[in-house]
Amino acid sequence: MSTSTVKPKAMIQDNTRCIGCRACMVACKEWNERPEDHTDFFAGEGYQNPRDLDANNYTLITFNEVVTGEKPDWVFGRQLCMHCEHPACASACPTTAMFKTDLGPVVFDESRCIGCRACMQACPFIIPKYDYNSFAPKIHKCTFCADRLEVGMDPACATVCPTGAITFGDRDDMVAEAKRRIAAAPGTYIPEIYGLDEVGGTSVLHLSSVPFEQIGYITGLPKTPMPDLTHRWLRATAPVFAVLYAVFGALNWIVRRRMRRQGHEGEHT
Amino acid sequence: MNWRIRLNWWDKLLFVVMAIGAVFAFVRFATGIGTIANINNAYPWGWWVGYGIMTTIAVGGVGFTITALVEIFGVERYHSFVRPAVLMAFLCYASAITMLMVELGRPWMVWMVLVSWAPTSALYEVGWCAFLYLTVLALEFAQVPLEQAGWSRAFRVVRAIYIPIMLLGVTLSNLHQSSLGTLMTLIPHKINVLWWSDNLPLLYLFSAMMAGPAMAIIEHLAAARWLGFTPRMDLLAGLARIEAWLVSLFLAFQMGDLFYRGAADAMFIASWFAVSFWVEIAFGLMLPFVLLLMPEVRESNRGLATACALIIGGVLLHRLNVAVIGLRVRHWETYFPSIGEVAITLGITAAAMFAFGWFARILPIHEELPPPETRAQPAAQPASVLRGAEGVS
Repeated sequence: MSTSTVKPKAMIQDNTRCIGCRACMVACKEWNERPEDHTDFFAGEGYQNPRDLDANNYTLITFNEVVTGEKPDWVFGRQLCMHCEHPACASACPTTAMFKTDLGPVVFDESRCIGCRACMQACPFIIPKYDYNSFAPKIHKCTFCADRLEVGMDPACATVCPTGAITFGDRDDMVAEAKRRIAAAPGTYIPEIYGLDEVGGTSVLHLSSVPFEQIGYITGLPKTPMPDLTHRWLRATAPVFAVLYAVFGALNWIVRRRMRRQGHEGEHT
Repeated sequence: MNWRIRLNWWDKLLFVVMAIGAVFAFVRFATGIGTIANINNAYPWGWWVGYGIMTTIAVGGVGFTITALVEIFGVERYHSFVRPAVLMAFLCYASAITMLMVELGRPWMVWMVLVSWAPTSALYEVGWCAFLYLTVLALEFAQVPLEQAGWSRAFRVVRAIYIPIMLLGVTLSNLHQSSLGTLMTLIPHKINVLWWSDNLPLLYLFSAMMAGPAMAIIEHLAAARWLGFTPRMDLLAGLARIEAWLVSLFLAFQMGDLFYRGAADAMFIASWFAVSFWVEIAFGLMLPFVLLLMPEVRESNRGLATACALIIGGVLLHRLNVAVIGLRVRHWETYFPSIGEVAITLGITAAAMFAFGWFARILPIHEELPPPETRAQPAAQPASVLRGAEGVS
C-alpha cells in the first residue's frame, strides 16, 4: 500500500447508542491477549469496573450516574486511546518507540522503548499505562488494532458492538457521519464532537447526550496540537547552539588575550 | 599516585547511607519498580525525576556557572573554584545518569536514544546533551588525575583541547538545562498554573545558574572545614554578591512571568499548591536574598552556609513543584514518594559526596591545600603558597 493512497481511519464512539454491555472490552482483551483482573470496589464517581484503564485494560466503558431532567440516569462513556492527529506522546518519545502510522493508529514499538514514561506524562487524555511490576515493563494502550487495520480488518471492538455505537471508517467520512447524526437528532445529542479539534483533532470521535465532563471525559483541552508547545523551543536548538558557542568563544578569546598581555607587562599568572 | 585515604566518620556515615540505598536498589532490580516505588500510572515521574534527575542536574549547574564566570567572563580571581566546580558537576551528572538507570523501566535499552532521531522530543535533546556534557566534564577534569599520575602524553592531549571542550561544555549546559524545562512545557493540563509557563526553559536555566555559586560557596566552606584550610572569605563574599544578583534575577523573572500570564491570583487561593509556592518564594528566594544583601552575612561562615543552603533547598522545591508537587492528574489519584524511592536517591547522592571527598584528598583539587603527595597527614594548615594555575589546573 503506497502512502499517497492511504486514507486515515477514524472511529465514532456514539455514547447515545451504548447500552453498557462491555462487549468491546471483552473483544479488546481477547485480541490483545490481556489477562483477567481482580477488581475492587471504589468510592467516588463512576460505577464501572475496573475504575480506570490499566496495563490489562485498553478500553473501558464508564458507568456514570447523571441527572437528566428530574431523575438520575445511567449514561455510558468510553475510554480508549484517542489516536491524536498530532500525538503528544510520540513527540515526547526520545527513541521514536511511539509513533503514528499513515492509517491513523498511534502505536508502540517495545523493541525501541527505554522505559522513560515520557509518553505517559505527555498524554493529555491520560491513556498510556505501565506494568510497573514487570522485569521488562511495556507501555500499554489501545493500538487501534493497527495489526488488523494492516490487513483490511476493522478494530476488534468495532466488530462486536451489538447496538452500532462504534462505527469505523475513513476519517473524512466519520466526521461527516458524526455531524449528520447530530443534525438529524438535535434532541438526542449535545452539539459537540469530542475529538474533532481537541488537541488538533483525534482519530476517535465521541458523541454524547450529556456534557462530556459529566461522563468522565477530560475537557478544556486546547484546540491546538500539544507538540507545538515544545517545538517552538526545540527548533531553536541548533541556531542557539551556534550563536552561544561563537559568543562564548569570542569572549574567551578576549579574556585570554588580556591575560597574555598582563603576563607580558607584569608577573600575574 | 596514592589512592588510599584514611576513612573519617563522615565517610563511614556516607557508607551507611549508600548501603541502605543499595539494598533498595537491589530489590528494585530483583522484583521490578512496583515493589518499592509509589510512582504509578497517574504520576509516572516522581521523586526520582524531581530530585534524582532534575535537582541533581540543576545543582550540577555549578560546573558551567563557575567555568563561564572565570573562563568566559574573565573574572580570574575565582580561578581556585573551577576545579571543585568541575568535579562537582561531573559527579552530579554521573549521579543523574545512575539515577536514570534505576528510574528507567528498561535501562539496558538506554543506548537507543543515541541511535534515534527524535528532534521533537525534549528528552532526546536532554539525553544527548547530558551524555555529551558528561564526556566533556570528564575530559575537562581528566588533566588533574593525568598530571598527578604522570601520564604526560595523555595530559598534553587533554590540555590542548581544553578551550574548545570547555566552550562546548558551557554551551551544552545552557541548552540542556533549559531543555529540562522544555520537557515540562508539554503538560499545561497537569501542572498547576503557579508553575506551568511557556517560559519554563528559561526558569530552569536561571535556577541552574542560581544553584551554581551557592554550591561553590557551600563546597568551599565544607572543604575548608573537613580538609583543614582557611576559607577565602574575600572570594566567598564576592561570589555571594553575584549570587544575590542571580537570586534576584530568578525571583523577578518568576514573578514577572506569573503576572504576565495573568496567573498571579493563584498565589492567594488557599491550597497546598499556594503553600508550596510561598515556601519556595519566601525561604528559597526572598530570605536568602535578604541575607546575602547583609555584609555581616557575606562575611560569616555560618551566614553564607545558611543562605546558600536555603537557595539549594529553593531550587529543589522549584523542581519538585514543577515536576511532582504541582501536578494534578485526576482528583482521586495521588503520589507520595516511598521510603525506597528516597533511600535510593540518597544512596546515590552519598556516593557522589564520598567520591568528592576521596578525590579531594588524593588529587590537587583545592589550591588552598598543599599538593597531596606532600600531605603526610590530613592537612591541618592552610597552604600559604597557591600553586600556579592555568586552565582547570
